[in-house]
Amino acid sequence: MKRVVGVWTSVAVAAVLLLPVSPRAILGAASQAPQAETSGDQDLAIIVNQSNPVDNLSLQELRTVFLGERSHWPNGRRITLVMMEPGFAERKAVLREVYRMNESDFSRHFMQGLFTGEVFVSPKTLASPVGVRKFVFNVPGAIGYVRATDVDDTVKVIRVNGHLPDDKDYSLRIQSRPAK
Amino acid sequence: MKQHISRVARDSARNTAQLIDRFLHEVSRYSTALLLLMVFCVETGVVIFVIRDLRAADREVQRIYAGSVLGLRGIGELQYQAQETRRSTLYALTTNDSNLQVAYADQSRAADRRVTEGINDYLAHARMQREVDVGKRLQRDWSAYLKVRDEVLASILEGSTKEAVDFDLNGGVPSFDRVRQDLEEVKRLYDEQASQRLAIVDESSRRSAIRLVGVLCFTLLFVSVSVWAIQKSRMLSALKLAKLQMDFVASVSHELRTPLAVISAAAQNIADGVVDEKEQLAKYGGVIRSHTRQLNELVNQILSFASTKAGRAHYFLRPLQVSGLIDTVLHNTREVVKEAGFVVEALVEPDLPEIVGDLSALSQCLQNLIGNAVKYGGTHPRISLRAFQHKADDSPFEEIRINVEDHGIGIDSSDLPHIFEPFYRSPVVAAAQIHGTGLGLPLARSIAEAMGGKLSVVSKLGVGSVFTLHLPITAKGDRETATLTPDSFIRQ
Repeated sequence: MKRVVGVWTSVAVAAVLLLPVSPRAILGAASQAPQAETSGDQDLAIIVNQSNPVDNLSLQELRTVFLGERSHWPNGRRITLVMMEPGFAERKAVLREVYRMNESDFSRHFMQGLFTGEVFVSPKTLASPVGVRKFVFNVPGAIGYVRATDVDDTVKVIRVNGHLPDDKDYSLRIQSRPAK
Repeated sequence: MKQHISRVARDSARNTAQLIDRFLHEVSRYSTALLLLMVFCVETGVVIFVIRDLRAADREVQRIYAGSVLGLRGIGELQYQAQETRRSTLYALTTNDSNLQVAYADQSRAADRRVTEGINDYLAHARMQREVDVGKRLQRDWSAYLKVRDEVLASILEGSTKEAVDFDLNGGVPSFDRVRQDLEEVKRLYDEQASQRLAIVDESSRRSAIRLVGVLCFTLLFVSVSVWAIQKSRMLSALKLAKLQMDFVASVSHELRTPLAVISAAAQNIADGVVDEKEQLAKYGGVIRSHTRQLNELVNQILSFASTKAGRAHYFLRPLQVSGLIDTVLHNTREVVKEAGFVVEALVEPDLPEIVGDLSALSQCLQNLIGNAVKYGGTHPRISLRAFQHKADDSPFEEIRINVEDHGIGIDSSDLPHIFEPFYRSPVVAAAQIHGTGLGLPLARSIAEAMGGKLSVVSKLGVGSVFTLHLPITAKGDRETATLTPDSFIRQ
């Protein structure tokens, strides 16, 4: 009986953590609505805290980090994964380019991984690019993503496969689709 | 054109000189009023001083008050923002929502920026070493707390609530306590400074009060002394006037009684038939005529002086030849001079310019001077009467001077300042039984001044005296005006 309760508790915690409930109503003006997908590709910047010594990750390493299969950075800081709410083009781009999953697979991966202990990191969900940026600024071990145009000097952009956004061979792009 | 400009300049300078003379004359007449004016000026000065002092004290109090209010507000704001930094951090602990946690982190960082600015501002305005030390310590402790706060915030955002609480308890609370103590120290220092400023204001206020009392005492003393001086001056003046009037009455009585007695005795002798010969009768007649003239002159002199003082003297000004004036004077004084056995040596410079004046008044003025020369001529029966044109060193313009010089007893230097005062008679001449009313010279001076001139004297005891009548030379335009419109020259 105790074991059943423990399992359900873990599932509930994971569900709460991954619950795509928007806190925008609480934050008011601080949050932003998902940007309408516009024509023209934009680069997706992977951002970490300025104190993070990592400057470059391969796409595979990035995938490992984002899947929660790596718990600490080389400097010993715990990795904190920051995601944006469902519906954001940035999230879709990350799911497509890094996770290579859809929303359901993503949710299932973390629920199962946390339950089995294969996943060490539970992602935090923020309601806006500004929120993501501020989170990364405040947490030394945080890693997140925003549009390259949303980057400022409070965070550090890391190279992916040795490339920065705007580089010709940069692989993380927000796919363009006509605005709906 | 040049002559016109020169004449205008000369007239202007003459007017200025006359104004200065009049001013000095008025100053000597209104010494009491001047004293009161001085008291008024001193009072005004005191009032200005007191107002200035009060305003300075008021400004100082306002400055201290503003400084106190601003300082207290600054310290209060610093304490509030420090609390806000910590409060916002702790609020982040109360929620699992990452968005809210980020918002609280934002609030905490905004508050900590304000605290940092406040500390920098405090250090920038710190003047005492203790302030600098406390400010630097606060800056250090605040930085230490912020490091802990950052760790706490990071732990909260990572979701490690327990870790965050541990960080806060082990590092945040002690470091924030140190910050709080530093802020208390800042406040204490400020209170001490405020107390010192208050003491300074208190001292300044006390000094102002002492100064005020001192100034009021001085003013009171000054006013008392001034009033006393005014009263004494008036009393002395009244006493002096009374004495002069008594002397005058005695003198006039004597002057009247002597000729009256002579006339009466002569008339009595004639009536009693004591005198019956023609020659004797002629002699008595001459005596009576002489003393009658003497009486007449005395009465005229008193009346002239009275009308001068009462402001009723009217002069008919017209252009005069100096030689004509001298002739008139010589004619009028001929008998007096002859009877006294004196000789008048008249010397008039040829081609003297005209003067403007009242012939009768000027003649009276010079007659008085010649009368004095006869009276005080002593054993040297020679009088010089000289008229000439002269340019004084202190004036750019020339004038006519008429000297009356005798070689008699002269005037003592102590009497010189008083000889033009009405009724004044030198004790020396009074003792020598030389008769007089003390009105001749004051009257002569009044006439000289009314003619736009002045009367001066140079004398040496036992050597003689020289009285000089200074008269301005009439410009051509003035002469024409005087000739055409004599009424305009009727002066009081």
